[in-house]
Amino acid sequence: MRASLLRPHLAQAGASFRPRHGVEVVAHFTDRASEYAAIRNAVGLTDFSFLRTFAIPEAQAIDALDVLLAGNVPKIRFGRVLHTFLADPHGHVVADCFVANNDQEFLFTCESILSDDSLNSLLDPSGSGILGQDLTPDIAVFSLDGYKAWEIVKKVFGPDVLGLPYLSIENYSFAGQPVRLIRAGKTSEFGYLLFAPKSAAAELFETLRTEVTAREGRLCGVEVHDDLRLDGRFFNIHAEGSQVRDPLPLGLQWMVDFDKPDFLGAAAIRERRAAGLQSKIIGLAAPQGAESIVLGTELFHEGRAAGKVVAQGFSPVLSQSLALGLLPIDIAYSGLEFRRSQPDGPALRSISMPPIMPRSLSVKLDEM
Amino acid sequence: MLTQIGPSTPTQSAQVIARRAKVIQTFKDELIRRLNLPYLPEDLHEDVSLLGSGLGLDSLDALEIVLCIESCFRIKIPDENISVLRSINTVVDYVLEHQDGKGTTP
Repeated sequence: MRASLLRPHLAQAGASFRPRHGVEVVAHFTDRASEYAAIRNAVGLTDFSFLRTFAIPEAQAIDALDVLLAGNVPKIRFGRVLHTFLADPHGHVVADCFVANNDQEFLFTCESILSDDSLNSLLDPSGSGILGQDLTPDIAVFSLDGYKAWEIVKKVFGPDVLGLPYLSIENYSFAGQPVRLIRAGKTSEFGYLLFAPKSAAAELFETLRTEVTAREGRLCGVEVHDDLRLDGRFFNIHAEGSQVRDPLPLGLQWMVDFDKPDFLGAAAIRERRAAGLQSKIIGLAAPQGAESIVLGTELFHEGRAAGKVVAQGFSPVLSQSLALGLLPIDIAYSGLEFRRSQPDGPALRSISMPPIMPRSLSVKLDEM
Repeated sequence: MLTQIGPSTPTQSAQVIARRAKVIQTFKDELIRRLNLPYLPEDLHEDVSLLGSGLGLDSLDALEIVLCIESCFRIKIPDENISVLRSINTVVDYVLEHQDGKGTTP
């Protein structure tokens, strides 16, 4: 099983590991509530080395990626990042992807529900090396997220980093080694992905850890990101993504360029789009103090079976159990009552997402 | 605070859906027209983020959205309430609250 190259450092810091789709990830360091609070109120440092990362020469990247991904790769401007997905030939989402136009190379990341071997078969079935260099075994990837994340990247990489817009990439140097930085968090707070070569990874990790601790932040695992993505209403390939798979009910149309000629799964997705949307996911909340919502629970509306829970979590900010339900299109509206498990089961309410107001919205980086 | 449960009778639910669907349709149609978005109204999930991630609209687009809301619903969005632009659904909530007379007067 693939593991982070910083595994010994993470283990020494108290990480609890677990397997996820053939990759060992850090599940958590402490309790989920503390890690959640660190990111919402201060800053959290999470090992994201589970991402598959490729560096593709510019000359071959555009054609190679555009036939695979749902988004429009040729339209990515220099220094900017496209957020899109990879589907299988059936038009089912298998990876949440970033593509960054980084000067002479395109940096391509996949957060996938496939094993490395299965993903390789989809990305490069003939093994031609069309996707350039697979950086995955030779880099560490850190996600620095939180209300105070910007303070740390400013201190480590300089004040210019504050000028980076959301979904952009820049190259920095740390300890004489190149570090790529993408501003692309999925927590609603400030977020940065840092890609460090093996030679600088441990030192960067310790530097970031020191700065995080100095700001009352924490080392975090991937589990808390499930809660953060849910109450921030970011797509989570490991939650609703793995349950629903079809990008249309998932509401991922914004990641698709329907005008481009082809991409993996395009025909199936176009066919379903033409047939019309039958269902979609919508946010659900249990009353405060109610029992947690359970994944897979059947949902009822006005006495009839209506759908099921496809993602669930707890929002400490709201003190509520939240979920996403897959519901028929005619009742997929916020403000309605649903019952769980049986027609007269405990009540839930469909809600507008995102239900939280992140603190980072109050910070204007260009005025710092 | 999300502690209240929604309507529980079929009539109440139908009223909530009809009223909400009308505001959503009006807003989506105008949003697509004003910003020349390459999507059909049904392609826009009501929870999709309008700014930053999601549709990835910028600050100029945000101004256009504010004008769109003012034009469609005759409701002003003061600068301090710009966070209602988080998603289509949060915009719709704001419009419905104002139509109910619960919103903050600009």
